[in-house]
Amino acid sequence: MTDYALTLADITSRGLGPASLALLPGEIAGLVGPAGAGKTRLLRVAAGAVRPMTGEVRVWGMRVTDPTARQLIGYAGDSPTFPRALTVQEVLMYYARLHCAAGRERAPRGLVREGLEIAGLAAAADLRLDSLGRADLHRLAFAQAALGGRRVLLLDETLSGLDAFARRDLRGRIARLAAEGVAVLITSRDPAALERLAARVLVLRDGRIVRAGPLATLLGERILEVILDAPPTEPPPGFRITAAGLEAPLTGRTVEAALALCRAHRLPVRASRVRVKSLEEIVLESHDVQ
Amino acid sequence: MRFLRCVHAEFLLVFPRLSRTRLGISLLALGTTLVWLSAHAFDPLTVTLQAGALGAILGAAAIGGDETDRAALTTALTHPTTPLAIATGRWLAIVLPAAALVMVCATAIGWRTDGVVAGVIATAAVGSFALAVVLPLGRGAALALFLFMAVAGTIPPERLVDLARPGIVRLTAASAMELGPALWHYRDIADADRGAILHALAWTGLGILLAAALIGRRHR
Repeated sequence: MTDYALTLADITSRGLGPASLALLPGEIAGLVGPAGAGKTRLLRVAAGAVRPMTGEVRVWGMRVTDPTARQLIGYAGDSPTFPRALTVQEVLMYYARLHCAAGRERAPRGLVREGLEIAGLAAAADLRLDSLGRADLHRLAFAQAALGGRRVLLLDETLSGLDAFARRDLRGRIARLAAEGVAVLITSRDPAALERLAARVLVLRDGRIVRAGPLATLLGERILEVILDAPPTEPPPGFRITAAGLEAPLTGRTVEAALALCRAHRLPVRASRVRVKSLEEIVLESHDVQ
Repeated sequence: MRFLRCVHAEFLLVFPRLSRTRLGISLLALGTTLVWLSAHAFDPLTVTLQAGALGAILGAAAIGGDETDRAALTTALTHPTTPLAIATGRWLAIVLPAAALVMVCATAIGWRTDGVVAGVIATAAVGSFALAVVLPLGRGAALALFLFMAVAGTIPPERLVDLARPGIVRLTAASAMELGPALWHYRDIADADRGAILHALAWTGLGILLAAALIGRRHR
């Protein structure tokens, strides 16, 4: 056994990698990047749904192809599809029977009840799939991924396309599972969706992890925005030109020092403000730098 | 044991499909038509063979040919099951309702055990073949197979190939008719013909293995 819930070591696949990451139990890591960056492929490789060309995926030290590992790792796809003509409860019962096939220690009905509770689907249990809205389909995808007490969850765009209330609710449910020790790797093409959930963020670009770190550290970076009366011809060192004037990260210098630098360059400063960097900016920055 | 439970889980999906999709009503319509035809054109053995084979193709179209269901295989395989268990479960879900239709038709037109046995064995072979065909090709292939089995499949190849000019077309047609599952072949099961029984059993096994390979490949 290992301390890590999930490890990906030097994974390469079509349009992906080499990429490595390790996830601790109870950790929520967000995988962000533009469409086509390789987020879904990375998740599918991690889920064992796509065989990597090189490298290996391990779940609690076991190869992901091991049947025992498959009981521990759950995957919710970007566009959830389930067998047709079934109700929510029947879909979960189908997957629950597969989980209970290994032994009789747990009854499928118990797993279904648990799945419905985890995802907040109890009220929709008897609804047919074709009558479900997008939010409930995402909940069902989440429920089937978490079914059977799985310890690693791979959630592909589970929070995307949801209204603010559904997003908040689902975010809370994911956080509750993580608090119980479940490791979560969640992707989102909208970084803002993960700002209040992920403890660690990995920025993916062209199949490679180009930036990674704790969200608090990444977001802790403060930015000084300087509004000028006239656009500068050349920015002072460490500044970059924006539509309203200039901006610069406040790492290693004070606001006063940065403004003094502007004045030393004879820039007509009208106003200034300090703001915290958003995750979206970090993703865009990572994209522009490469 | 684990494998059988996974097969059972997959098979159980047939019940909502029978009652909530067109599968149930299609099987009913097929049975009614065949029983009516038995009074006008078909002999009892043809009715049981057609009920089994065509019922199995309808089942394969509903259970293996639906695009959503095929896409859902990817999710199913992230759970503790195997492509072979899924293929076997789906095959059972195709074959058992069709085999029940064989028995209902046989009861309606006058029970003949040899005809029912031939019908059930033909159901197993055609169901397996149909599953392997519709999984990659969808419902269009099921329709083509249905028409083939209903018309050409009842005619022995030596009669059919006479219609084509000698050459590659004739050779291909004759080979397909000889090798593929066809009702003219399975009529002999009623006479306990070992060749016909082995042919059907071989297609049953091969079809399930092919379907399992296709499901596994889709996953990868």
